[in-house]
Amino acid sequence: MSLLLKNSYSLIKNAIVSTSLRTLSTTNQLRLKEIREHKEGSTVVLEGVFVPSPRTELLVRAENVKESPHICPNTCYMCALDLDVKHTDVLILSQFVRSDGCMLPRRITNLCPRQQKKIGKLVTMAQKAGLMINLTPSYCKKDPKKRYGFKKFNTYFDEKTIFMKRIPKPTDRFER
Amino acid sequence: MSAAKRVQQWATFARTWHIFDCKWQDPYQSAEVIKKYLLGMHKPIYHPMNDCGDVVVCINSREIALRGNDWRQRAYFHHTGYPGGATWTLAWEVHNKDPTMIIKKAVYKAMRGNLQRRHTMQRLFIYPGEEIPEDIVQNVTNQIRQLRLVPTRLDHIDEEEVKKFPKVMDYPTDYVLK
Ligand SMILES: [Zn+2]
Repeated sequence: MSLLLKNSYSLIKNAIVSTSLRTLSTTNQLRLKEIREHKEGSTVVLEGVFVPSPRTELLVRAENVKESPHICPNTCYMCALDLDVKHTDVLILSQFVRSDGCMLPRRITNLCPRQQKKIGKLVTMAQKAGLMINLTPSYCKKDPKKRYGFKKFNTYFDEKTIFMKRIPKPTDRFER
Repeated sequence: MSAAKRVQQWATFARTWHIFDCKWQDPYQSAEVIKKYLLGMHKPIYHPMNDCGDVVVCINSREIALRGNDWRQRAYFHHTGYPGGATWTLAWEVHNKDPTMIIKKAVYKAMRGNLQRRHTMQRLFIYPGEEIPEDIVQNVTNQIRQLRLVPTRLDHIDEEEVKKFPKVMDYPTDYVLK
């Protein structure tokens, strides 16, 4: 997907600028991309613009927060932080979703499989409880009170139902 | 009996009126708490033969929250007594008809079935909204603490606050913002 966008971006840029710019690069630019659409006369111009990430200075990492960071190099950032996230913590869960409320895939969130599954289920719970209605598709009935049948009443969820069986953490040790 | 002792006697045996806000509360968990106030089990003078129960006023019973998929899976059974007179009504259908019935049935079920139960239920007032008759508001002197926190919706939080909130996840470098 990103490759396709990159290619289309370079195509558009070539069409506009029509100079032999070197658009291929072996290293990532340390920026994010945003696709903007605007009109110049009778032509519609789509351009990919690099923007700095708005989250970099607000980022919380375990090695900066905890006093004695004893973290395995393989643990992901959520396991290292060891937060007790509930489905009502919409300020945390909204960071893991797109603007239409869909959970981001693991290659973007960079979580371990266990945390990805847990966060994904928490996002589903928050959406079903109607706590993130501004992050929903355009066809969604935004107000939970106007939904159909049983969906219009308040629902809460128990986080214990996410993992019925206790899955051992990679740091756990077993005696045989 | 001195005057102070007499006042203490009145205060001990007087019925206290409690208010309970059912907003986003599980009716079956809060019924266990309401039951204790209705029967007077929170008092040191409690005895089953002692008529020391209090009055509880439940407000916002329309806003109760059931767990998981209980709204469509929990069924309420009723039998008319005639053959084929059994009906099963789902919780959301019951709540559509009468928004006070689920909490009423939950409290009724939480208490032991004896001759006192129906009289104790007379001391429970349930209102679907926030409007209560004025003569009942004037009696209320205590509030029962809610069991669950009322969740905040993301669109009710200030946009600046959402932006300034510490972030856990950062996008990879080649991510296209959507
Ligand atoms: Zn992890």
